[in-house]
Amino acid sequence: MSRPAFRFISPSLQWGMIGLVAIALSLWQAGLFQQTVVNLNGFPLLWRFVAASVHPDLSYDLLATTLQASLVTLAYAVCGTFLSVTIGAIAGVFCSEVWWLEVLRAKRLRYFGFHSVRAILAFPRAIHELIWGLFFLNIWGLDPLVAVAAIAIPFGAITAKVFSEILDETPRQPLLTLINSGVAPITAFFYTLLPQAFLNLLSYSFYRFECSIRSAAVLGIIGAGGLGYEILLSLQSLRYEQLWTFFYALLILNGGVDIASATLRHQLGCASRIDLNSHRPTKRNIPNRRIFSLFPIAIAGVALSFWYIQPDLSKIGSPRSQQLLNQIVQTSLPPNFTGMAELIPLSVETVAMSVLAIAIAASGGLLLAFPAAQIFLPGGLLNRRGKANLFPPVLLAVARIMLLLCRAIPAPIWSLVVLYILFPGILPGAIGLGLHNLGILGRLFAEVTENLEQPPLKALSAGGTPDSLVFLYGVLPATMPRFLAYTLYRWEVCMRETVIVGLVGAGGLGRLLTEQLSSFDYQSLIVTLGAFLALTFLVDWISGRVRRSLRSS
Amino acid sequence: MKRLLVSGFLSLSLLPLAACSNNSSPNSSANSAAQTKTFVTGAIPDQDAEKLQRLYGKLSQYLEAELKIPVSYKPVTDYTAAVTAFKVGDLDMVWFGGLTGVQARLQVPGAEALAQRDIDAKFHSVFIANKNSGIGPINDVKELTALKGHSFTFGSESSTSGRLMPQYFLQQAGVKLEDFKGQSGFSQNHDATIALVTAGTYDAGVLNEQVWQKRLQEGKIDRSKIDVIWRSPEYYDYHWVINPSVKQRFGDDFPQKVQAALMKLDPNVPEQKEILELFGATKFVPTKNENYARIEQVGREIGKIK
Repeated sequence: MSRPAFRFISPSLQWGMIGLVAIALSLWQAGLFQQTVVNLNGFPLLWRFVAASVHPDLSYDLLATTLQASLVTLAYAVCGTFLSVTIGAIAGVFCSEVWWLEVLRAKRLRYFGFHSVRAILAFPRAIHELIWGLFFLNIWGLDPLVAVAAIAIPFGAITAKVFSEILDETPRQPLLTLINSGVAPITAFFYTLLPQAFLNLLSYSFYRFECSIRSAAVLGIIGAGGLGYEILLSLQSLRYEQLWTFFYALLILNGGVDIASATLRHQLGCASRIDLNSHRPTKRNIPNRRIFSLFPIAIAGVALSFWYIQPDLSKIGSPRSQQLLNQIVQTSLPPNFTGMAELIPLSVETVAMSVLAIAIAASGGLLLAFPAAQIFLPGGLLNRRGKANLFPPVLLAVARIMLLLCRAIPAPIWSLVVLYILFPGILPGAIGLGLHNLGILGRLFAEVTENLEQPPLKALSAGGTPDSLVFLYGVLPATMPRFLAYTLYRWEVCMRETVIVGLVGAGGLGRLLTEQLSSFDYQSLIVTLGAFLALTFLVDWISGRVRRSLRSS
Repeated sequence: MKRLLVSGFLSLSLLPLAACSNNSSPNSSANSAAQTKTFVTGAIPDQDAEKLQRLYGKLSQYLEAELKIPVSYKPVTDYTAAVTAFKVGDLDMVWFGGLTGVQARLQVPGAEALAQRDIDAKFHSVFIANKNSGIGPINDVKELTALKGHSFTFGSESSTSGRLMPQYFLQQAGVKLEDFKGQSGFSQNHDATIALVTAGTYDAGVLNEQVWQKRLQEGKIDRSKIDVIWRSPEYYDYHWVINPSVKQRFGDDFPQKVQAALMKLDPNVPEQKEILELFGATKFVPTKNENYARIEQVGREIGKIK
């Protein structure tokens, strides 16, 4: 991987240096060394906001609104998850290598089929839910269907990608054995590979549900209703007491879903969320049979959610939608390339924002992840001697609540709050994105730490190594590569999410998109969207390359 | 085998679900205005939704009694979405701002500007500044150059009083958006502009004069921190725009009927007075498409209309 001149430096060191330079350049782009960034006059307003956290508005009317808004957000998330997992399950099979190679035995077609399905799926994935929402609004009008589809389409494509990776990484011997003994390949596929991979697929579906909850809150901001909408309204009218009531509801909703999902995954015996770069086969416990009794409950939940939000499915193929779709295609063509020169500095801003966001998220996540993992608890990895004092559990609770708060609140809301004390520019956007992703990364980091291979660490500990050295020489080296992999993966997500902080004026291409949307200038919009897609693919490519080179080193 | 059974059960149980949703669709499409006899109104969300909900609840009741047809109100959360919903036919009549009204009419041939408040024919924006910024009062449009080198925020991108006309006046003074310190902001609504300038996040900003006056009366403005530096010349702003599709559904003279009903709102009848007060008006007056020719021209100059 490394070029001859750099042979004396390991790839990880090389990438690390490139990363640091990228962060420094991004800070420079954000204007950190050229102008004042902190606005001291805004602190009284920030203080009012923070002070309101201890006395949220608990009046009956507001609590009723909160409950209803929470149900709306939850129902959107359930419907969105259901559809995205359905799409992901079908498309995931068709873009897995094993399907084309072993099941269809289409060796020649393989390159064409497998790569074309993957390439097609890359597009819906690269476009943020929010843009999908605005697109569907144009063809379906004001209907709950818009928000459901806006979650289902990009998340379906992401799920398809992950499902296909899971299928491809599942051991193929049983499948081949059945096929070679004359069983029809498709039957063999359903009896071997699918059941083998089932737990990992299910585990990822739960994770998708957690993501859908966060996404449903963001979509609320553009008009799907629910908690995101209420939060934006009370923030803009400066009603902080109400704002905190909604924040707490979002916290309970996110926390509840996270806990339920973790418990279920634990019951299923698949504790790890997404096995990004571990190629060791996951431990496959025999799943608890009781788990199947959950299916009717899940089905009832999905049905209830669809009934609650009442999406009008007949709109999907209706003549009016067809006509409106034609209309929007016509108004978007031909693309208008006159604003191309403007795109270059904005693209640089966008990438800088994503780099800063992920730097904030990773460093904050790293700080909170170890306190949030159970390793310091009495009997935990780093407290084997069982010193029972109150400090570790309190630390654990504080760290976990902070992580939950960070990820529960949508990034644009964080940015709006940060705008009180920072001057406008890409920095408030980066901090908003960074705080939100910090909560997600910290949680993932903590989980990695808790799921570390125990024997080597136990051996160190039993040999009399002090806990601090076990941490330094045992825990850190074992966790770092996986932390890095998660960080790079999250960087790709941050890149896509720069759109939503652009919406609140944080700059970059998102800012331009908002302006073009509000001018109904679809011919220029399509060019900006193209630039955004290109950037997303670039970031995905860099991140993939770094991950591969780190894995091989 | 058991797993196969489970997956079979799963797919079977999903079938009726799909069927359910298909069955229920005629009901839910009853919400869609184009096919039914409900007259659907909407508004751009320039103030808080709670108030809009109350206001339009009352207005719908009034219109229902006057027009003898079912009237409903559908809340929309942003300016662009309001225009889009009007375009696709989900909203029959919308309370638009100057710019959004023109944008909507250009996308729906035959749409008409129907009525506006007495204040809308002579609407103003106010430029405000934080006292610490050192920006003094401005007496003439040319003096807006004083804002160069300061940070500045507009309201929503599509707001007439919070963005379009202010940008036009700035242009007349020779101030470009690049002349501000950093990026010019878009606070998204008028109250947020007041808050951000009070906090000093932006040195200066611009908003709807009506909102400013109201917040002054309510005592919500800290005048030791911010004040008005300039009041803009007048222009046409907010108005009702009606979709031509209502003629097929309710008769050719329906727009006139709605217009007459709005004119009839009387400040001497307590219930109607409340509606007018929520709108911040003493009465509604007729308006016509031609009144917004200047807004359209400015919109094209600024690039908000293509």
